[in-house]
Amino acid sequence: MLEHLPLLSLITFSPLIGILIILFIPGQKGKAIRWVAIATTILTLILSALLYIDFDNTSSGMQFTEEMKFLEIPLNSELISPPGAPAIDYAYEFNYLMGVDGLSLALSFLTALVCLMAALASVYIKKRWKTFYILFLLLEVGILGVFFAKDLMLFFIFFEITLIPMFFLIGIWGYKDRERAANKFLIYNGVGSAIMLIAILILINTAGFYFDEASNLLRYTSDVGVVFDQLNNPQSLANIEGTIFYLSENMRWFIFIMLLVAFGIKLPIFPFHTWMLRVHTEAPPSIVMIHSGLLLKMGAYGLIRFGVVLFPEQAKEWAFILAILGIINILYGAILAFVQNEFKLILAYSSVSHMGIVLLGIAAFNLAGMQGAVYQLVSHGFISALMFLIVGSIYERTQTTKLDELGGLAKSIPFISGILLIAGMASLGLPGLSGFISEFLTFVGLFDTMPIVTIIGTLGIVLTAVYVLRGVLKMTFGSLPTQYTKMNEARLVEAVPMIALVAFILLLGIYPAVLIEPMQETILSIVTKMGG
Amino acid sequence: MESVFSQLAWLIPLFPLIAFVILIAIGKQGNKWSAYISIGAALLSFVFAFLVLFERLNGTMDAYTWDEFDWLSFGDISIRLGFEINNLNAMMLIVVTLVSLLVNLYSKAYMKDDHRITVFYSYISLFTFSMLGLVISVNLLELYIFWELVGVCSFLLIGFWYEKESAKAAAKKAFIVTRIGDIGLFIAILMLFWYMPNHSLNFTDIHNAFSTNSIPIEAWVITTIAILIFVGAMGKSGQFPLHTWLPDAMEGPTPISALIHAATMVAAGVYLVARTYDIFLASPIAMEVVAYVGGFTAIFAATIAIAQNDFKRILAYSTVSQLGYMIMALGIGAYTAGVFHLFTHAFFKALLFLGAGSVLHALHKQDIREMGGIWKSMKVTTITFAIGALALSGIFPFSGFWSKDAILTEAYHDNLILFIVGITAAFFTAFYMTRLFKIAFLGSNRSSDKPKESSIVMTLPLIVLCILAVIAGFVFTPFNPWLGEWLTGNVVEEHTNWIVMILSTVVAVAGIVLGWIVFGEKSVSQSAKSRNWAYNVLANRYYVDEIYEWTIVRPLRILGLVLNTIDRFIVDGLVKLTANIVLATGRASTRMQNGQVQTYGLVTLIGFIIIIAAMLGRRYF
Repeated sequence: MLEHLPLLSLITFSPLIGILIILFIPGQKGKAIRWVAIATTILTLILSALLYIDFDNTSSGMQFTEEMKFLEIPLNSELISPPGAPAIDYAYEFNYLMGVDGLSLALSFLTALVCLMAALASVYIKKRWKTFYILFLLLEVGILGVFFAKDLMLFFIFFEITLIPMFFLIGIWGYKDRERAANKFLIYNGVGSAIMLIAILILINTAGFYFDEASNLLRYTSDVGVVFDQLNNPQSLANIEGTIFYLSENMRWFIFIMLLVAFGIKLPIFPFHTWMLRVHTEAPPSIVMIHSGLLLKMGAYGLIRFGVVLFPEQAKEWAFILAILGIINILYGAILAFVQNEFKLILAYSSVSHMGIVLLGIAAFNLAGMQGAVYQLVSHGFISALMFLIVGSIYERTQTTKLDELGGLAKSIPFISGILLIAGMASLGLPGLSGFISEFLTFVGLFDTMPIVTIIGTLGIVLTAVYVLRGVLKMTFGSLPTQYTKMNEARLVEAVPMIALVAFILLLGIYPAVLIEPMQETILSIVTKMGG
Repeated sequence: MESVFSQLAWLIPLFPLIAFVILIAIGKQGNKWSAYISIGAALLSFVFAFLVLFERLNGTMDAYTWDEFDWLSFGDISIRLGFEINNLNAMMLIVVTLVSLLVNLYSKAYMKDDHRITVFYSYISLFTFSMLGLVISVNLLELYIFWELVGVCSFLLIGFWYEKESAKAAAKKAFIVTRIGDIGLFIAILMLFWYMPNHSLNFTDIHNAFSTNSIPIEAWVITTIAILIFVGAMGKSGQFPLHTWLPDAMEGPTPISALIHAATMVAAGVYLVARTYDIFLASPIAMEVVAYVGGFTAIFAATIAIAQNDFKRILAYSTVSQLGYMIMALGIGAYTAGVFHLFTHAFFKALLFLGAGSVLHALHKQDIREMGGIWKSMKVTTITFAIGALALSGIFPFSGFWSKDAILTEAYHDNLILFIVGITAAFFTAFYMTRLFKIAFLGSNRSSDKPKESSIVMTLPLIVLCILAVIAGFVFTPFNPWLGEWLTGNVVEEHTNWIVMILSTVVAVAGIVLGWIVFGEKSVSQSAKSRNWAYNVLANRYYVDEIYEWTIVRPLRILGLVLNTIDRFIVDGLVKLTANIVLATGRASTRMQNGQVQTYGLVTLIGFIIIIAAMLGRRYF
């Protein structure tokens, strides 16, 4: 039944329905706007759940593909056809191509879920609800599109769509230093996007050029599938020396490194991480849930889907460098998290550290490692969303998240403190919770190829315990400052997303097959293509 | 007899898990009856464990294994969970469930005034579940999962009184120090995963692979794996140098100290080594390491215990020391003796801790110098404690005598240095236990409180454990090697070594007599003045904590602060620079839009040159 519906487009653009409705609600009716937004994210989640149910776990390719002619710019065919020969149709085409495989499925479901939780957590937003939720839903469209886009240009457009709402969401609803944070975010991500765009354009102009014999067509395309085939087909123009479409070894390296930098900024890879520190501290917590839980994942997703899949030789040759970058991320993030006083900064550096595990998983170049990397993306998405949900709740009550001003919260708000402890345990990779599976898979995978690096990486397991416990215990254990003795426990609207996220973290930790099964074939095919 | 109950052994951990879920769900409302849920679950587990044991006693030697749950798969490799029942873990099940049941019961009175009693019982149930899961795990990864879970429960219970700064610090320390050991176990698992045939981590496969030497692994790899597993055991079982967390763990409620930090969880390290014993047997170097670490810890901790004044800390160091004995036994190849000591120690050490709890509950003090004269008003506690202390000191015919004798006999034949170490540690054990008993229980009352005997809920577990402390030793004596045959399946020849038996008795009695002479009322008041350097070293626990503080904790913090500065100014400077370049470019191009044709011409020219350069450059690229 669902095969006939453009399910991916429905999911991606379902938040637009909410935007449309919100446009017609007067701005001062905050509550109504909020419930419309929440209902919209629930709709998206239901559609995503349908996708998950209907997804064929045994297939490694793209499913639910959608194709629509969108733009075709005719080019002067006389330039290329020999005189006298029949004119060949010669054009640049840009099509609307969507598809989902195991990798996209995992991340799109994560997106739908975290967005719902963030919508619930946005209860603390106190001004300009209408604009806030419109931007919020727009942001969701962008993220979902990124994970479904099967076309380089389309991917780029969705990627950029996320920047604009984010800029305003940080700049308007953030804390004291919000405007500088928003600027920094925009500029730095803009630089990343520019680099990515250059890489994409080069790809379109080389590997994207193909001759479709069946229909006698000459095309420049940004279809990822075509680009991939062209890169790997020894007969294609991109692989024939002397043509202007030829992609030399150096050029491939150039593109690969550009992609690595572009996505490395987003991930973030050391030393490109400082922009996100400010976002973590200045943006409103519900937006950081999305930022830390989802936007960082776009970097990793891009790195796997374009960096690694399109340029496997380069990536493989740099496996060791990727692993070292991963180790630096893990240890550097952990050590810096250990000395921060602001809990939000601890979480920011913790994200740096946890994304290092993703790099290690990719660097392993085998099934276990790659699965670990993707598992880590989903797991960290849930955990960091939960963390910032709690941060929002605590800040609302104490007006601070600085460690030296807090203590003993377990006495006045035991429920929230308990959830914080669970989130901390998940973060430090306690078995039974999602973080352990990803760490285990990653380290198992990496140990096969780089045992020494793996052993250094496991140091991170201890350091994570050190900084997580330091932060969590400082806030919840010890004696309670007198001004915090009278605080309200979590309200229902806070408790529901907390319990839901904990439930998912538990589910992923106890029964990993829910995520492994659908993504296994896809990742296996990625790894096989890389020859790993 | 068919293995009916063994097949149902998965139910044993399930009961406490259900209790945990119920207790977490009801929260504070359940304060009145939460204890009964937890006690009931522990009782059911105990009954089942007993049935399983009964079945094993009459049944075959073969283990019952079930591992059909496909848990984690990648490619054609799949890690499956399940459970295994063999004689070793049937014995462990009975120890864990029995001590857990008694501690559950005891806590009902001990914790009755605490308004978080439901939370307390939920943690205990979670712990019991995890510990039982650990015991019946079918493979090493499953064991690791439960291994970490018991660690968390330990952490939660040490920090149960979270408002106390000391409890907070102790909980954190316990978690982090044991985690350092866990990394060793984790890496060992990774290594085994890639070296084992079919990537199997099942204990049965490990046994088959290593006992027959059927896998082509180089010797150094086996040694590395064994030592890494042992590092994990060191963390959990408080072996030097990872022992520092265990004495601090006494910040938790005393029933917890009895259950987790004396009888069950800390023995998990010993259990781990016993469970993977074939790997150790395949590596003589690893065996040596295990033996010497164990022996050193035994004597090291026993000496520290002499100079401590905190009732529970003395017992904690005693635990560290006794765990050292068990580890040493395994290291010299005395498998049965090590496991046997684990078995007897669980009962008499739980007894001592619960006795301590009874005293603490009556006096609200932990410093033995402020106690004294308790025996007059707390007869049951005093008598049971005395028997526990005698068992620990290795006095005939209490259980500790038989298990310690079994270890020392093996050491006597195997390694004379370790025999001397062991027998010296036995002397110190008797010595510090006498000191503890005499100062805390005898003499005149130095506290302001009038102690009263605890209620029957608390004394009943004491009596049960006391009986076990007396009789548990008879399952494995030089005259009755039944336990050894049952555990290993081999016929153990009786070798009665009268020299060792007499020597160890003489040493223990000497320790008691000397302790009796040296310590008394006077020593309490004197000790402050007559401190010499040796006493100071012992009282400060050989300064191990301080050494860690200066070599690890502080350098890490300083490194963090330095990196933080670098991150703020240098790495972030890079970002700012990029941002500034973008802004400057923007400003510069704004300035170009000034309406002057010359400027536009210049820009066009520059652009033209760039394009030409790019086209030319492309050829060489």
